[in-house]
Amino acid sequence: MRRWLGRARDWLTGLLPSLRLRLVVVFAMVALSAAVAASGIAYWLTRDAVVNRAQNAALKDFHKTLGDHAGTLPPRPKCEQLKEAADAIAGSTQNYEVVLVDLERDGRQCAVASSENFELGDVPKKLRNAVVEERPSDGGTDAAHHQYWQRVNLDGTPYLISGATVIGEGPAGYMRKSLDQEQDDLTSLAWSLAIATGLALIGSVLLAQAAASTVLRPVQRLGDAARRLGEGKLETRLKVSGSDELAELSRTFNATAAALEERVADLSAREQSSRRFVADMSHELRTPLTAISAVSEVLEDEEDNLDPMIAPAVQLVVSETRRLNDLVENLMEVTRFDAGTARLVLDTVDVADQVTACIDVRAWLDAVELDADRGLMIRLDPRRLDVILANLIGNALKHGGSPVRVSVHMCSAPRTGLPAVDEARAGNLVGAEGEVLVIEVSDRGPGIPEDVLPHVFDRFYKASASRPRSEGSGLGLSIALENAHIHGGEITARNNPEGGAVFTLRLPPDASVLVAPEEREEEDVQ
Amino acid sequence: MARVAFLLLIEDDDAVRTALEMGLTRQGHRVVTAASGEDGLKLLREQRPDLIVLDVMLPGIDGFEVCRRIRRTDQLPIILLTARSDDIDVVVGLESGADDYVVKPVQGRVLDARIRAVMRRGEREANDSATFGNLVIDRSAMTVTKNGEDLQLTPTELRLLLELSRRPGQALSRQQLLRLVWEHDYLGDSRLVDACVQRLRAKVEDVPSSPTLIRTVRGVGYRLDSPS
Repeated sequence: MRRWLGRARDWLTGLLPSLRLRLVVVFAMVALSAAVAASGIAYWLTRDAVVNRAQNAALKDFHKTLGDHAGTLPPRPKCEQLKEAADAIAGSTQNYEVVLVDLERDGRQCAVASSENFELGDVPKKLRNAVVEERPSDGGTDAAHHQYWQRVNLDGTPYLISGATVIGEGPAGYMRKSLDQEQDDLTSLAWSLAIATGLALIGSVLLAQAAASTVLRPVQRLGDAARRLGEGKLETRLKVSGSDELAELSRTFNATAAALEERVADLSAREQSSRRFVADMSHELRTPLTAISAVSEVLEDEEDNLDPMIAPAVQLVVSETRRLNDLVENLMEVTRFDAGTARLVLDTVDVADQVTACIDVRAWLDAVELDADRGLMIRLDPRRLDVILANLIGNALKHGGSPVRVSVHMCSAPRTGLPAVDEARAGNLVGAEGEVLVIEVSDRGPGIPEDVLPHVFDRFYKASASRPRSEGSGLGLSIALENAHIHGGEITARNNPEGGAVFTLRLPPDASVLVAPEEREEEDVQ
Repeated sequence: MARVAFLLLIEDDDAVRTALEMGLTRQGHRVVTAASGEDGLKLLREQRPDLIVLDVMLPGIDGFEVCRRIRRTDQLPIILLTARSDDIDVVVGLESGADDYVVKPVQGRVLDARIRAVMRRGEREANDSATFGNLVIDRSAMTVTKNGEDLQLTPTELRLLLELSRRPGQALSRQQLLRLVWEHDYLGDSRLVDACVQRLRAKVEDVPSSPTLIRTVRGVGYRLDSPS
């Protein structure tokens, strides 16, 4: 039974996915079955009472009038006499049709009817036999003949047919009474009941709707609030009224949201303070570094005049100061990205010129093969592009050795086949023409070990733990990636099948969509 | 031919001040130093330096405020020395009237190159004049008059106007202007140009918010037009 119920519930759930619809249907079904049952019982009881009363009255009357009139007939009456009696019996208040049957003197059977519509042939044979047949007397008070009746339906109209043989060789009388009147009454009763059932059904549906609303509206509010909470609006709270189960649930939701908000606030405060610490620290480092840098340059200029024993020490101070400078510079850059204060300073530039200048200014022209056509005008932050290129090319030179190959071209937006580019970013990459700028930096070195590949953009991740000393800050590729992201672009790393590592930078042709409208340059001439 | 520049260095940190003074002196500049904005303003009045190197983070009145106060009376070049390269700070500094900025920890050579570039902006090159509406640019006297009145322009603003006026009606990109006016390498900060254009417009335009002389050319840069 339980399994069956469960299966029924599953079926209902599958058929009616909405809780509201389910509630309405169940309400309607309950109301319908209750109304149908009540109406059905009422109908049958009423029908019995009405038909039986009409029938009993008719039978009693027929019994009496037949007895009265047949008693006045002589034995073996003439047909005419019989007809008169039939008409007299039919004239009774009960309004039935009559057939009388008797044997005439010559032994012929005579059957007369009070109206043309009702003849002996209309009386069912079984009834006739029962009426005519003499019952064996069992010695009691029972007479030899009884009154019999039967209900028949002729052309949709119900009739009561009754017959009796007058005791003492009297005639057999049959009557037929139409129960049309009763049928009409019952039909109108059935209609009334059907209408009442319909009204009950409508009422129950409305009631179910109301009940569903009172239950489901808070549920929907709860759902909306949960969705907002999921979207990060942690200040979302529900208004709680009453003390029912739903109010209790709302209260629990509010408590949960409050706890979550507190927890997130706590975490972000901690994260913020640690970020602020890094920012403050690198900021504090800059002031002494400025002094050291300035002085170390003075020392560098004097290198030729120094004691040969001291010169290497000065060289070390100068080079390490420069390294420290770079590290602090990168640290500052990272904290700006982390704090979200990094901004794009956009300009429309020729990419080939930018790449050439980047290589030229670092004296890498001999070590880099550049494959770039002039005339690719892209809107981006030139300083950030330079940071990206310098890091990618510098990294390739350091690990792969020269020559490093740099190719620049436009490419239709990569929608598929790039596992490292997630869909949202790929969507961002699409420019007005659906094209992106692609810059590939490939070296001829040993490539990147497969286990290192996913970590190349991690901060301070060193390709080889055993490497005694890194030349870079360990932040270069991470900063390059952040700089690509802030443009709405992406950098991916892979190994070339022919050997060597390939870093691919993809940038949208116009990054100005990523800049808040108020920060865009004002334009007055087209 | 580089003449000795007379610099005022305003920097509160003793070590930085001493080190920069040492470095700049070795590059051939004459340097006086001040440890606070108030002292710096006093020295400015007394010694009339050619150029100011100004630290942003100062006790008392900060570098931005010092910059604003200097600009009320003087148009001499100011180079900001900022430890905060947060982008918003750079914008505030440029809006307060600085000609250029360097970010700490700065290399002495970079600072020296910027100083020399700024000093060169005041040098005269040609001997003619140009007229744009009611604006007259006299290249021999290095003066600009508007409706016959002398305009007080900083050397940078003047140079920017001169470069634009040399190519009337032709749009110059920000990178071009950075090379021509600031002598920056290809990575100059284009906000320098924007800030300087804003200041220049405030001085030469009738209605600075709807410029008729120095026009912005979308996607390219700026150009100087004769008002039609």
